[in-house]
Amino acid sequence: MKMKNILTILLALFSTMALAQVKKGDVLIKGGTVLTVTNGTLENTDVLVRNGKISKIGKNLRAPRGVETVDATGKFVMPGIIDAHSHIAGSAINEGTSQVTAEVSMEDVVNPLDVSIYRALAGGVTSIHLMHGSANVIGGQNETLKLRYGYTNPDDLRFEGAPRTIKFALGENPTRGGRSRGIQPQSRMGVENMIRNSFTQAVAYKKKWDAYRADKSARKVAPEYDLRMQTLVDIMNGDVLVHCHSYRADEIYMLMKVFSDFNIPKLTFQHANEAYKVAPELAAFGASASVFADWWAYKLEVYYSTAYNAAILTNNGVTTSINSDSGELIRHLFHEAAKTQKYGNLSDDESLALITLNPAKQLGIDNRVGSIEEGKDADIAIFDGHPLSVYAIPLMTFVDGVKYFDKATDKGDMRLYVNPESSIEEVMIYDRHDDHRCLEGANALNLRELFSNKK
Amino acid sequence: MKSFRMLRLHFVLLLSFIALHSTALAQSDPSGKSAVTRTYAIKNATVISKPGSEMKDATVVIKNGLIVNVGKNVSIPDDAEVIDASGLYVYAAFIDGMANTGAKRPESIPRPQNIFTPDPPNDYAGITPENSIISQIDIKSSSLSSMRKAGFGISHSVPYGRMLPGSSSLILLNDADHMDEIVLSKDVSLYAQFVGAPGAYPGNILGIMAKWRNLYRNAVNHKNHTELYAQNPSGLPRPVNDRVSMAFHPVIGKSKSVMFDVDDMLDVRRAMRLQKDLGFNLMIAGVKQAWDMIDELKASNTPIFLSLDLPDEPKENKDDDKSDEVKALEEKRLEAYKLYVSQAAELQKAGIKFGFSTKGTRGNKVKANVMTMIENGLSEADALAALTTNAASMLGLDKVAGTVENGKIANLLVSTAPYFTKKSQIKMMFIDGDRHDYEVKEKKAKKEKSTDSKASETASTSNDPVAGDWSYAFITPGGEENGKLTFTKENGKYTGVMTFEDGTPDTDLKNVNYREGELAFDFEIDGGGQAVQVVVVGNVDGKNFEGKATASVAGQSFELELTAVKDGK
Repeated sequence: MKMKNILTILLALFSTMALAQVKKGDVLIKGGTVLTVTNGTLENTDVLVRNGKISKIGKNLRAPRGVETVDATGKFVMPGIIDAHSHIAGSAINEGTSQVTAEVSMEDVVNPLDVSIYRALAGGVTSIHLMHGSANVIGGQNETLKLRYGYTNPDDLRFEGAPRTIKFALGENPTRGGRSRGIQPQSRMGVENMIRNSFTQAVAYKKKWDAYRADKSARKVAPEYDLRMQTLVDIMNGDVLVHCHSYRADEIYMLMKVFSDFNIPKLTFQHANEAYKVAPELAAFGASASVFADWWAYKLEVYYSTAYNAAILTNNGVTTSINSDSGELIRHLFHEAAKTQKYGNLSDDESLALITLNPAKQLGIDNRVGSIEEGKDADIAIFDGHPLSVYAIPLMTFVDGVKYFDKATDKGDMRLYVNPESSIEEVMIYDRHDDHRCLEGANALNLRELFSNKK
Repeated sequence: MKSFRMLRLHFVLLLSFIALHSTALAQSDPSGKSAVTRTYAIKNATVISKPGSEMKDATVVIKNGLIVNVGKNVSIPDDAEVIDASGLYVYAAFIDGMANTGAKRPESIPRPQNIFTPDPPNDYAGITPENSIISQIDIKSSSLSSMRKAGFGISHSVPYGRMLPGSSSLILLNDADHMDEIVLSKDVSLYAQFVGAPGAYPGNILGIMAKWRNLYRNAVNHKNHTELYAQNPSGLPRPVNDRVSMAFHPVIGKSKSVMFDVDDMLDVRRAMRLQKDLGFNLMIAGVKQAWDMIDELKASNTPIFLSLDLPDEPKENKDDDKSDEVKALEEKRLEAYKLYVSQAAELQKAGIKFGFSTKGTRGNKVKANVMTMIENGLSEADALAALTTNAASMLGLDKVAGTVENGKIANLLVSTAPYFTKKSQIKMMFIDGDRHDYEVKEKKAKKEKSTDSKASETASTSNDPVAGDWSYAFITPGGEENGKLTFTKENGKYTGVMTFEDGTPDTDLKNVNYREGELAFDFEIDGGGQAVQVVVVGNVDGKNFEGKATASVAGQSFELELTAVKDGK
């Protein structure tokens, strides 16, 4: 190869590397009450961050030259909150035109310009699981993000190294679509059948490709490539973690049986308002659950639930998280975690784990985030009071040791791309994030209507 | 001399007489409008032969559609029509990087019966890469003359459609009796856009990105298979005559680029992501937001055509007692506006060569928008390069077009003043050696006109082709339904509500999409306890909308008509 070509290649490599590099911070957070989640509460403790990682936790640490010190005296330092179910920062949420769309991926539609990212940071959130919607039985692949607000390249928000995940959906959402279109699934039986059929097809697909790869002939013809089937094969190989939209205990149990039959070991149930009814079964399977603290009765299949759900699951040994599924709720997930103390008497660490370590486990990123430990990523939130107190206010949020939110210097208008033709006077309150359909019909039922005798 | 000229005239008359009586192929002209000669000498002009190179008192000689001589002391052929161009300025006619110029929008595709499948029919899904703009060209299209009037000589024209509408061609913006006369180069690039199929897969960018990868990888396999079979078919299964895969073969072989029609910054990145994953040669056009990706564009060396469509300049609220918040918001909006209008200058500063695309821009906005870019830092030479030489080299035209030089196609723009000045007007265009004259208006009249257009811009919401109230008529088996459709546009996205005069509760319109005259939306109504899904697709023509509505219930679907008229003056 000519020297010039080698240089060009090197240059190209170098330039892409340089572009992909996101900022890593150095900071010493001094004298705070550190809620480690995995190692109890450490009073008056310093956390030293070097190059985006927690390098030391201890007392009387000294800031190396050039490293900024943040005084956290009297304040609470906790791992950045992780939301295992979010639809912010997406340019599209549902490819709902077909019932199995395993091939589509939220990584293609990450919208780093969504100001909701900043609002989430202002609630102490550092990572989200950007999920496909629940319009179809096997929806698209999700994307785990770090909330590095300010970057405009979607790749810069990617949680590098996080495992692939995918959305499944059971119950009313996919069957409503099926019934209105006259196609499968029109019932919960149909949903199960579609999942089983899809995996069975994927087994056949894998066989074809395995045979092709094993063929030593130079004159072999490749079978048809199908990204949809390939993704299902990846699920069965354990390369893609399944997160399933679900409400009722019977369908939760059903999916565990299906996954046992196809030897798929990892499974997280999203919403799972009736998961407490099958908590021992979930624990035995090793499945986990990501739930709301006290939100239900927004449609028929989720009419019945309890605020004790998260506590019961936790006490039964199920890895449980509390998620937002909302651009608004995401800003106070710490309140949601606190509710489980009110209802289920969970300990501080157990409650905090619901929004930190446990969602990290469900997303397969607990080796990197979810607790304050030496060697982990410096994704940290600082509160003025204990985050499980209703009076607590988030003050600062760090991702990779870089401060992305600081209440003291908050600028107010944090929009990144402003429409130059937008009108300023007009105020329109519209939550685009309701479009994901997970809670479809949520506003249709209200108590007054439900118990009114007028028709 | 005189007798010679008479003789020539007779000869011409005789020829035309013969032509009249001979086959239809000949250039007969009973109207007497066609030029007597195709040789012209444009004398005493200021010739800007290419960006940054100007010649005073020069002559340009055109013969048989080509530029045959440019310079100060050139000899003028006997048969030349001499044009005194004292005080006039001659440029190479502009080259449009991407537009639908010359194409006629095909009839909207009827909604197939069985649409809710993972693989709906390709023509409805918009996967027709085997098609070509050639099948959509209409020589009578007014876009040909209106873009010519705006200074363009060649358009890289792309077909109408959805995700993969087909191949583009280079079109000469000339009058013609037959399409073949104006096609300069056929099947130049494979045209792609992020446009989903209404109510079918791929419905949006999620599905489009996945479908792209799936199509491309299968096309790679298909190409390998085809080549293997061509070497020796014995014992091999026959490769299927898969038109979609075959359309990708030249793209995989890199003899043809993919031109991605992009809009915002995220679109650009998505197109580049596909390019990175799959490895084809990429061109991007219609770019509106590139200021944050200058390094990446430079590193990837992707040919880029900026959109000539600029946002309107924001108008300040003149209230004396406006709040600090409003002031701050106005300031931020103005900053955003500056990013749009100065991005061409930023790209230029970074050494990135770019062209322009007029898609989505009216011809009469072209000059004003280029001038706005110049006011915001773009040099005149670079603006001209974007309109001529850069576009020519990116489209592989640099040997035949883009400059006023010997041997090039005679595509010229003649203007009354240096083009990049407020007062300049286009007086003549030469396309493929044919002359087109334009009336030069008095300055005063022009001024009036510009204030006129300003006034209409102020009412920008009423100017939106969709936003506002529409009275509709929905012809159903049970009779005609009437009511209102109300569309609202916020942050570039439409939402809508449908009301019914018969007291049916209002319903939200979903997936409202408007693109170049085509409006699509869907809604759900209650049909006796069953949810009926209705998808409407149709064309907006001024205040009128004519659409086909497909209602589906329990696996059955039927076609209905929905027409609407926009309310207001």
